[in-house]
Order: sequence, then structure tokens, then C-alpha cells
Amino acid sequence: MRIISCTPALLFILITSTYSAFAEVSINGFASIRATSSDQDGDTPAHQGIEGNGELSFKDESLFALQARADMGDGLSATIQIVAEGKNNFNLEASRAYISYELTPNHRISAGRFANPLFYQSEFENVGYAYNFARLPKSVYQPFEFNTIDGITLDSDFTFGQYALTTKILYGSWEGDFFEPLTGETNSFGLDDIVSLRANFSGGWWNIYGGVIFNVLDGGEVDTDVIFAAAQPAIDFAISQGATDVEVDNFLNAIKYTGKDGRYSYLGFNIDKNDILIDFEITRYGIKDSVDVFNQVWYASLGYRVTPEITILVHTEEFTQDNVEDKFLSKVNNQILFDTGIAFAEAFREYEFKGSGVTLRHDFHPNAALKVDYFLGEDSRTDVGDFSIWSVGIDLIF
Amino acid sequence: MRKILCTILFLSFSTSTLAEISVIVHKGNTNSFNKNVISNIFLGKIKTFPDGSVAIPIKQEDESINTRFSVEALKKSPSQLKAYWAKLLFTGKGIPPKAVANDIEVLELVNSNPNIIGYIDSNKVTDSVKVIATY
Repeated sequence: MRIISCTPALLFILITSTYSAFAEVSINGFASIRATSSDQDGDTPAHQGIEGNGELSFKDESLFALQARADMGDGLSATIQIVAEGKNNFNLEASRAYISYELTPNHRISAGRFANPLFYQSEFENVGYAYNFARLPKSVYQPFEFNTIDGITLDSDFTFGQYALTTKILYGSWEGDFFEPLTGETNSFGLDDIVSLRANFSGGWWNIYGGVIFNVLDGGEVDTDVIFAAAQPAIDFAISQGATDVEVDNFLNAIKYTGKDGRYSYLGFNIDKNDILIDFEITRYGIKDSVDVFNQVWYASLGYRVTPEITILVHTEEFTQDNVEDKFLSKVNNQILFDTGIAFAEAFREYEFKGSGVTLRHDFHPNAALKVDYFLGEDSRTDVGDFSIWSVGIDLIF
Repeated sequence: MRKILCTILFLSFSTSTLAEISVIVHKGNTNSFNKNVISNIFLGKIKTFPDGSVAIPIKQEDESINTRFSVEALKKSPSQLKAYWAKLLFTGKGIPPKAVANDIEVLELVNSNPNIIGYIDSNKVTDSVKVIATY
């Protein structure tokens, strides 16, 4: 992602220029200041971005964001959102930059850079004030590099009496650096022809939703510098044992990411009735016919609004992965290469985890919520094991 | 007996200080409204009146009347409503109603623009506007 440099003068102009001869500009923002402490049995942190040394960190889960929206009239607007995240040393990053045009009062088309709607809450996952969790369940809401994409989207709203239907259709792409947990290295990677479809149907106290995303992968350096490089010794050995060029090509085609189809799908519901709150979301995603098996993850929460200002939430989540299958190696006949492919898939299967937690939210100010959270989990990686995370923080909007 | 009288006096005083809220539109607005439609307009779920003309909801700077309207008409506490709008605002799906200074300004705007819908203290309603619901 592009990190933009922003001088104090430019920032001042951005914040103070709320009037323009051509557009009405509104400035809004959100922030989270959170003290987080995480620890685990092993030496490896349970979650990327949250240090697992048992010490208190004010950076891991803190962020500031400013959004400027210029309304040019007749349904045309331009929006930019700049985020400074503690985990990135509060470097400024343009996470949203798009123009929108209202085709009709109920249909809006936008183009530019915006959130990749991978899952239900992905579009507002940084806006802590918007939900009762202290952090969205990590089983689903991991810090994917491709959370922000470039493209075009059509948002539509429909109402049927007391029921509302919102839909989203998106086309876009993403190019950037990808952190490979297996190697601990960052390499270029890309997603092309991203197509996303979502529907959200709600009544007064309930909401159900579902969505799918398709994309085509561009493996970039992950293919050449990670996968192919790691496979080279096995390829050399297979050739020395008589493997042909065709067999090697078939093997490389089987293990590379480039050209493979990514699939994401999610389904869930929310209930908010008589101060009882229920949330559930299940997702399944992965890359078809690749070394990377599909993930099946879910979370559920049960909350109670004790007073209009105080909410208690208990939540549980699980991240699981399918067993390795040899379908992606269907064209690999050489036994050495076939076994290498299976070993790769086993290595890429990474880990599984599950856990539960409790969150207290107190809206102590009209624009701010205090959240206290404690989470206990167990991770299948031996260098992680059982882990715990607690945090105290404030989410605010302005 | 004295205690009962005091309680009755207190309750009547409390009721009189918390007057109803009236939702008002331009006098020429001939649409029929029910409370679902009103709620959906103020929550940004629908952006037109039933006849298809654009609906522009406005709120007030006075948080006490906003809170009462939010709880009574939208069935949300102020923080729930802010969380709701935060999702829409920061995902580009909607912007919350603009706030105007007071009942008088709402009356003036509604009277001058057939697209505007607002709410005011029922005691301040005049013949210049049309009341479509009370809470």
C-alpha cells in the first residue's frame, strides 16, 4: 500500500479547510486508544500485529483516522480517509480515496480506493466505536494486506414496508506486498478481477447477510521467491532421478499461486431485541486447487445492554482449516514431486485456533466508549500454545 | 395523603415539561406517512418520500430533543444511533441528518422547502407546517 507523506502544513489545511467555493467539505474522524497485553505459552505471538511479550502496548491496537468528504452537489462527492495506525508507527496512509455519484437516490456508484468487503464488518473494521467488540474476532478479521483495493462499486438500497435490502456489487484489483507467515518474509503479490457481491436484509431488530468474492491471483514474488525457491532442491533431486521437463512444469503449475482462483464467502445474522444482542458470522475462504487449503472460521457473541450506556458481551470464535487433499496435484505423476507438493500443502496449512472472551462497553461520553476485554485461546502451533489477551481502551468518533 | 398529592403534582409537572415531539413537513406535502417510513427516512434507509421526491431529514443542535426523538421514533439510544451512523459515514453509505439551531429554524426550513422533514417540540408547531406524526 502507498504511504503518503503529509506535512504539518498540509494536514492543517486539510483539517481547517471546511469551506470551498466549489464544494461543501465535511471533516469527520475516529480513533482508538487501546492498551493491550498478550502472552502465550510459546515464543510466537498468537496474532500478527499484537506483540506477545506480556508487556503493555499502547501501539498495537491504537489508531487515528480523519475523513474529508467534499459534496459538490447534484449527487457528486469525493472522499478521502487517512489512517495512522500504531502498528505502523502512526505513519499516515490513504486507506480510502474515492468519488461517488448518486445515479438515483437509491443507487450510488463509487470509484477509487476503498475497503475490500471481504466479510460483513470489513468495511468498518477500523471504526471501533461502530461495534461492541473491543477487537473484531481475529478468526475472521485478520490484518489481510488486501483489506484496501482499487476499483468500482455500486451500492443500492431498497425498502419493502418495514424491511430494508442493501446490495453491493464491486469490481477491482489489488497489488502490494504480502507477508508470508510461513517464511516471515514480505513479497509482492496481487489479486486481479476481484468481483464481490453482497446482500443485507433487515427488519426492525434483525439483520441477515451474505456475500461472495471471486478473484484471480497474481503470485508475483511469492511464487518465484518463496514457493519455487523452496521447491528447487526437491525439483533438482527429482530431475536427478529421471523427472522430465513436462513433469516439472506440471508440478510448478500445481504449486504456484498465479492464475489460481480465490474464493471468499460469508453468511451471518445480528439480533438486537429487548436489549439482548446476538451476532453470528461464518466464513469459508481459500484458493481453489492450490497448496493453500480452505479456511472455515466463525464467531458468535451474546450480549446484554444493562443500561443504554453499558453493554456486556461474551464471545467465542474458531479458526479451522480443511485437511490437505491431493486434488491440486492431479497432473503430477512423478512420485518425488507429488510427495513434495503434499509436504508444501501440509506446511501451508499453518495453524488453527479457538478461544472465548468477554467485553464490557461503557458509553461514558456522547462520542466515546470505554471497552475492557479479556480473551483466552488455544493455538495449534507448538510455539504458540495457550494464549491470553487483555485490553482497555477508548473508541471515539467525531 | 400529602405524599400522594406531591407525587401527582410531580408527575404532572414532569409530563408538562416533556412535551410531545411533532414530525413536520411542508404544508404542500401530500404524501401519507406511517412511523416506519419516518423512521426509515431519518435512518437514511430511504431517501425519497412515497411520491418519489427527495427527502431531506434534519435534526437539531439541541441534544435533548434529538435524544427523545432517537429513543421514541428510531428506537435507538443516542450511542446506538451514533454507532449506526458511524458504520454508514465511514463506509460512504450515508451521512447523518444535518443539525440546525432550534425549533424556529426547523419551522422556517420546512416552510420554505417541500423536501425537508424535521421534528420540533409540539408546543412550537404553527399553521405554516404540516404535522405527520407525534411521539
